[in-house]
Amino acid sequence: MDTLKKVLIGTVSAAVGFFAVTFTVYFFNLDSKALTLLEEPLLKHYEKVDKQKTNKNL
Amino acid sequence: MKDLKHLIYFENLLQEADNELVKEAEAEGQKCIGTQCSQVPEVLINLPGSFSVRLFAPRTGSIDIGTYYMTSLTCEYCRAVLERALEGGYQFLDAFIDPCACSQHTDLADNIEQLEACTKPGFFMLHMDTPMKSDTNGINHMYNQCKKELLPAMASMGIDTSDDALRKAVDQFNEMCRLLKEIGDHRKADNPNITGYEYYVLCLATYVCPKDKIMDKLRETAEELKTREPDPDAGKKYRARILLAGSEVDDVNFIKTIEDSGALIVADRFCFGTFPDREEIVLNDEEDVLFQICRDAVIKCQCPRYMNTDRILERKQYIDRLAKEYNADGIIVQQMKFCNFWGYERADYQHVLPNEYGWPVLSIDRAYSSGASGQLRTRVQAFIESLEIKKINKKKGVVNA
Amino acid sequence: MSKKLNSEPLGKLYNGKKTIKRREWRGLRDTLYDYKCWLGIMAYLVKFLTNPQNLKGMFRYRWMINNLATLDFLDRHTAGARGPQLRMAHLEYDFIIKHMADNMAAQFKRDQNIGGSKKLSDKTVIFDENMMSQVMNGFPNLKAISREIPPIFTGSTMRQDSEIFYIDVSEQYGIPGDVCPMPAAELGVAVQDDYPEFGCCILNANTTCDTSLMGNGIEQRHFDIPTHQVAVPINYTDPNVNDYSAQEIKDAIKFVEDQTGEKFDWDYYFKCMKIFNQETRNFLEWLEVNKTDYPQVVGNNIAPFRYAYYMVAGGREIGFLDAEKKINKLMYKAYENKVPVVSEVRHRAIVWGVQAQYYSHFPAWLQNCWGIIPLVDMLSLTSTKIYSEDDKEQAYYDMADLYANMVMRNRSEGGYQVGVEDLWRFCEEFRADVVIMYEHIGCKAVTGYHGLYEEQARKHNVHLIWVTHGLMDPRDASRQSMRNDVNRYMRTVFHEEPLDPSLEEFDDSNAY
Repeated sequence: MDTLKKVLIGTVSAAVGFFAVTFTVYFFNLDSKALTLLEEPLLKHYEKVDKQKTNKNL
Repeated sequence: MKDLKHLIYFENLLQEADNELVKEAEAEGQKCIGTQCSQVPEVLINLPGSFSVRLFAPRTGSIDIGTYYMTSLTCEYCRAVLERALEGGYQFLDAFIDPCACSQHTDLADNIEQLEACTKPGFFMLHMDTPMKSDTNGINHMYNQCKKELLPAMASMGIDTSDDALRKAVDQFNEMCRLLKEIGDHRKADNPNITGYEYYVLCLATYVCPKDKIMDKLRETAEELKTREPDPDAGKKYRARILLAGSEVDDVNFIKTIEDSGALIVADRFCFGTFPDREEIVLNDEEDVLFQICRDAVIKCQCPRYMNTDRILERKQYIDRLAKEYNADGIIVQQMKFCNFWGYERADYQHVLPNEYGWPVLSIDRAYSSGASGQLRTRVQAFIESLEIKKINKKKGVVNA
Repeated sequence: MSKKLNSEPLGKLYNGKKTIKRREWRGLRDTLYDYKCWLGIMAYLVKFLTNPQNLKGMFRYRWMINNLATLDFLDRHTAGARGPQLRMAHLEYDFIIKHMADNMAAQFKRDQNIGGSKKLSDKTVIFDENMMSQVMNGFPNLKAISREIPPIFTGSTMRQDSEIFYIDVSEQYGIPGDVCPMPAAELGVAVQDDYPEFGCCILNANTTCDTSLMGNGIEQRHFDIPTHQVAVPINYTDPNVNDYSAQEIKDAIKFVEDQTGEKFDWDYYFKCMKIFNQETRNFLEWLEVNKTDYPQVVGNNIAPFRYAYYMVAGGREIGFLDAEKKINKLMYKAYENKVPVVSEVRHRAIVWGVQAQYYSHFPAWLQNCWGIIPLVDMLSLTSTKIYSEDDKEQAYYDMADLYANMVMRNRSEGGYQVGVEDLWRFCEEFRADVVIMYEHIGCKAVTGYHGLYEEQARKHNVHLIWVTHGLMDPRDASRQSMRNDVNRYMRTVFHEEPLDPSLEEFDDSNAY
């Protein structure tokens, strides 16, 4: 019984925790904000990409 | 050089769309067909009893009304022609054939139609659909459009559209082409006895006048050129031989500005020019005449709207061949601002013609009336200087001259 | 901040940065629903990025950076929506986002630049992004992919500055600055060698416009694989062009057969056309409801979904139809309950012209700020014919008709009747008092009718509000300048106050 209770509490706590964290991320738009931080390093990276194809007259 | 006998006469014909020969032909009862593009097979609108006029707007000043209807973001040729139409400048037209060649031309035709800018009794507008590929289906399409739409429209004006009439029109057209070629070929000489300007005055006249009314003077001019002495100082005045390619040119002052800057235009590939629209149509006796005319029009057409791969490649080969044939030193590719087709084609030429064919290229965009442009003069002069440096380096044996 | 429409000043969520400060509170139920959908999309995107091949693509192609704005894109297109409209929006946009991710994954799987499968690549036909795809309804064993969609079409709706880099590349190449930025950007991607490399052959077309076909011509040198052009008639309303058009389709099919060794499968074609026809019927129901006093599927909920199934999927993907069925169910229920789509319906509008890709959520702004309901837009008003489901010869003509009626080109080509005259008919049918008239600076086709629109709008007693934009280049006309075009008219002509004053002017110049 105790185990079941623990599992239940654990599951509910995990679900509540998951909800609290993800809803906070969702509501305060932390996902999009975090992704903007990747832009600078990615743009720098794209400048260095080695492109093999030679473009005839392009 | 001694002035060409009929140059002033021809120049005067280019001062108005409704010139004296147009009036004369009209008075004789000939039907006048206007069009804005070479996509309509020209001989089919020059059948006995009719003549075509490629619409242009000489001495254009303000194009405010055209701009109101079509905005400042569209091709100035279209706006200038619309303006002229709304001013009543094309009231002599019995019909307008729109080949729907590009969206701006179609809009121009629609505006003229909807605003009722041409009010001659019986006037009508015909919107055709002309092919964009030169394959079998494209040729058949041109044939069907001409058979089902264009010729019935001509017949509705009482024009004879029989095979005999078609052959007569081709004969007249071919004679005009032969004369123009004979005149134009004088520019192949090292020291030509005709300038590009003089030639294009004659050439443009063949587009905007009833052809039968200028043939005598073309013949006389061809004869005159057989004995005309070239200018002994031409070598100093003209420092480079140029092929002029690109979009529509109906402003001979544009040619004059280029030549005043030190270039001699020896050949061309632009709308209202010689190639390919002034090349003879060769007919055989076996096939349907109309089909042959349509096939010729589709196969010869050098407009960038032809989109099949082989045509895209062939257009550069065509220019290369002409430039070699006329001993050009370089190529000027010009484009009317806001022309979508030539905007891209010009960019393509400026890469392909130098890199694959070895031609020096000057790429310019221009306004509809740009004859007196100082910027144009400067750019052409700089281009000529670069050609001269190339020549000097070549003589010295400099690599990559 | 509640479940009521216009309960939150949406302009205040912008602070001059790339993203909004926080997401909108739509009332408990709608917010939780939005949150649930967000979770679903997040999971899908995480799954996408955990695929090694996709990750390689992410690091190879500059335009992949646009996809960082995917969730922001979703927020923008659902802004202010509540109840059934929010649910319809998610049914559409969530599906579109997944579809886009699948399209990119399919490209990377085949991409020779990043070690993709040659075998899959050889079974792939590349389509111009401005082209109907129904020809592929007869080739179940082949995959049709529009290579340009992720870098250009969808990329430009994700973030407003997405195409600037490629447009500049194209101009450096020599393309004039006055042409449409879309084909210019397409060419720019090729010049930069930023297209995934795959496919056994290419089908191009002269749809949508003159610049598009010219750009394709130059790009051919880059792709260097067999290419066939479908030349769709310009004056397509003329019945004399039909045989020619049908032959163009036959030639295109033959080209695909010759290049791939596959045979056109008529059973599969008709199966797809049944789906396509059903989608058309459902769309017609949307329009019928929108003609009433209680329109339901409006603004942003019409266009992108319609383009996707009409042009890209072409009847080959049942998922669109499934989503559409659910949308129609929601629509009818909302209609019966007389659910309003804005807090106060001030104007019924038809949106005409070409939309700004960088402000594809503009219709949502019209609703939220001024109570203008975009009942339908020009790009969605394509063919609504029901096509043959069993006649093979007729099918060629049907496909030809569809190609001629491609999104946008069925109005920008074809002349005055379809470009101008039809607009007034739609105004009458939908009882619209306003036309939001997009003036895309680089589009020479619709622009050429400017004066005729002006004069005839007055004659038809319709308010014409011009909204100038640069399609994919916000440097030509910013989002705020587009809003100002409407703001000015609403204040000076209608003398109205906005429903949400915070939206009249706000700083989204740096936003995605």
